[in-house]
Amino acid sequence: MTTADDAEIVARCRAGDADAFETLYRRHAARIYTLACRMAGSAEDGEDLLQEIFLQAYRKLGSFKGDAALGTWIYRLALNHCLDYVRSRRAKMSKLTETLDADTSFEPLAPRETPIARLDLERAIERLPDGAREAFVLHDVEGFDHKEAAALLGIAEGTSKSQVFKARAKLRVLLGKK
Amino acid sequence: MHPNDAELNEYADASVDASRRGEIERHLEACTSCRQVVAELREIARVAATLELRDPPVRSWTRLERAIKLDAATERLPQNSRNSRRTFDLRVQRALREMSVMGRLAAAAALVLATAVGVQMMRGSAARRPASAPAATATAPAPAPAAAAQSVEAELRQAEDHYEKAIQGLEQIANAEQSVFDPRTAATLQKNLAVIDQAISESRAALRTEPASEPAQQSLLENFKAKVALLQDTVALINEMRKGNEAGAARIVSGLKQKGD
Amino acid sequence: MLRYSSLLVVAGLGAAPLAAAAQNPSRAAGAFALREQVDRVRADVAARAVRYQGRDRGPEQTERFSRKVKLGRDGRFTIENISGDITVTGGSGDDVSIEAVKRTRGGAGQLASVRILVDERPGRVEVRTEHTAQNDRVSVDYTVTVPSAAAVDARSVSGTVKVTRVQGAVRAETVSGNIVAASTPKLDAAKTVSGNVDLTDATSDADLTASTVSGTLRAKGLKARALELGSVSGDVLLSDVSCERLSVHSVSGSLEYAGALARRGRYEINTHSGSVRLTLSSDTGFELTANSFSGSIRSDLPVTLGATGSQDDRRRRGPGRGPGHSTHAVYGDGSAALSIRTFSGDIVINKR
Repeated sequence: MTTADDAEIVARCRAGDADAFETLYRRHAARIYTLACRMAGSAEDGEDLLQEIFLQAYRKLGSFKGDAALGTWIYRLALNHCLDYVRSRRAKMSKLTETLDADTSFEPLAPRETPIARLDLERAIERLPDGAREAFVLHDVEGFDHKEAAALLGIAEGTSKSQVFKARAKLRVLLGKK
Repeated sequence: MHPNDAELNEYADASVDASRRGEIERHLEACTSCRQVVAELREIARVAATLELRDPPVRSWTRLERAIKLDAATERLPQNSRNSRRTFDLRVQRALREMSVMGRLAAAAALVLATAVGVQMMRGSAARRPASAPAATATAPAPAPAAAAQSVEAELRQAEDHYEKAIQGLEQIANAEQSVFDPRTAATLQKNLAVIDQAISESRAALRTEPASEPAQQSLLENFKAKVALLQDTVALINEMRKGNEAGAARIVSGLKQKGD
Repeated sequence: MLRYSSLLVVAGLGAAPLAAAAQNPSRAAGAFALREQVDRVRADVAARAVRYQGRDRGPEQTERFSRKVKLGRDGRFTIENISGDITVTGGSGDDVSIEAVKRTRGGAGQLASVRILVDERPGRVEVRTEHTAQNDRVSVDYTVTVPSAAAVDARSVSGTVKVTRVQGAVRAETVSGNIVAASTPKLDAAKTVSGNVDLTDATSDADLTASTVSGTLRAKGLKARALELGSVSGDVLLSDVSCERLSVHSVSGSLEYAGALARRGRYEINTHSGSVRLTLSSDTGFELTANSFSGSIRSDLPVTLGATGSQDDRRRRGPGRGPGHSTHAVYGDGSAALSIRTFSGDIVINKR
């Protein structure tokens, strides 16, 4: 997808071309949906966030300058939106799984018999508590380094790091028993 | 002396301080459990980096499209829309002209509800935890328990207001246009709205006796949601059934064969 | 469970064009235009057909319609009807084969006033029933075969919609009628207002969504990734069902789930006054969070009971507290997550 493609799609969208927006959606929806599901911790929330993000993208297309790739622009929009959502949600409630081991000590678990399946990891990520989950998704899944992840999350690098480690500890427990 | 969890993680990520690395390696040579921990941490990170994309449900595009149509209807529209096989704005301009006042009210109410309440409000899927829950992050200071209870009730009242506004708008339309349905469907919709109203009043009564009861709070919100959902489905059906009804056309009654018992 | 996105859906519907109907809708290019005309015409009839006191006393007159259209392996098939049943079955081949029977008791002349329109375009075939006259005493029953990999969108207003053995995304909706879906691994929506929904025999890696207002929602022999089911007063009965995610919402309807839990599955059940009964056939461990304001919570499984969060419990168990129950329990290794909430409905969890 070249920048010329991007520019053309955006121009057509701005002109009200529904086909063009659908094309834009189809190109980027999976990436955004996947990010939203993981950040929010559920497919239901992910779907709702997907709606909002693309609606926002539609409204803000006017301000897209073309200095970055369209996909990157949408991704940043999505990331900010997901983070806003999770932050405001966290102020109001905490997840069910909070009551499971809050400590992060490393008792030895029985060694796994089989390697971790992706699907199992996806499910386990959904059960992580807020905070740990976002940091883990940004660092281990999306590939940002600790400094970038912390900046995105608006927290200190040390905090972000320890959230990632906490997430991993939790995942070990959730995935360990087979 | 086992390395702490941060160090084991950093070692697994190959980002541990050079000064500690040698010591940790020596420890790992002798310690099976720490070795296992490191192996698992590495595996988690490895698999995490290879997770795949998920496709959104098919319905997501349909819904998005409708949302955009509504959005375009309530915002300024771009001027030029030539050379487009399908345009949002032309149809939307037409729609705006022809939408009844009630329709716009309902749409506006739904939109208000959506933006103000939809995402912010709790989905009610998790039990609320007291402020003493561990491991809060630096960003959200844990509120004191009393304050938390208060804010929940204030929130609840705010949610009630939002829902009631939306419900009013939708109810007006639904009630005005019931004749568009066959008698059995109209009766079913009425009866089920009454079921939900009954549920709402039960939740309210419960909250009067126990304002802090979480099941009561959750149930009130869920029932509001159910009512809005049913009204919206009703309005959607009414909209579909009324489209194309020419003004002044004589309605000749005829029967709809009742099927499906 | 109300979804934020569904709010936008209905708002959007209100915004669709209401241009004055012409009997010959202009064939504007684009599926949108066609779709709106379909809705408009369908609405036209439905709007006029309100009450009728049985002036049709003649013998039933019928007229048959038959057409075969090429669709291609995984195209999309849409059918819209107003009064009458729709049966769609997946088969082999690339064609859509449409058989329809128009019926009326109002005299043979009525039959001509209803037309069956078939619109073919690359990758899509759309069928709709068009009522050209002011009154309508005609119903049309459709029997259609589609390529099994096709996507199907079938709607009727007063009639049953049945879709079988279709692999593509399926939407089946009716207002006053039943929905039956069998062997449809990708069921995006199965919706009715006063009818029942019957889902059988789907092994799916995807999500199935179904809802009714007052009818019964039955799912049997399903293995799906996620099930999202809703009703207002109808009961939801799931037997021999295994899914990794379940989300059920009802107001006064009851939920019965007889089947296995998936390891690490997530099950969320929410009713107001309906009861919830789970009969579990597997040994999968689960972690249960159950809340009810006035309903009881019982289980014959050996569970470890624990407090939810001490402060919440203390508040609830304080003086002047009414009935109400909250349980946080773990069975086995606690791998599946069960969240059950009712207001007054009872919750029972048993082993088969």
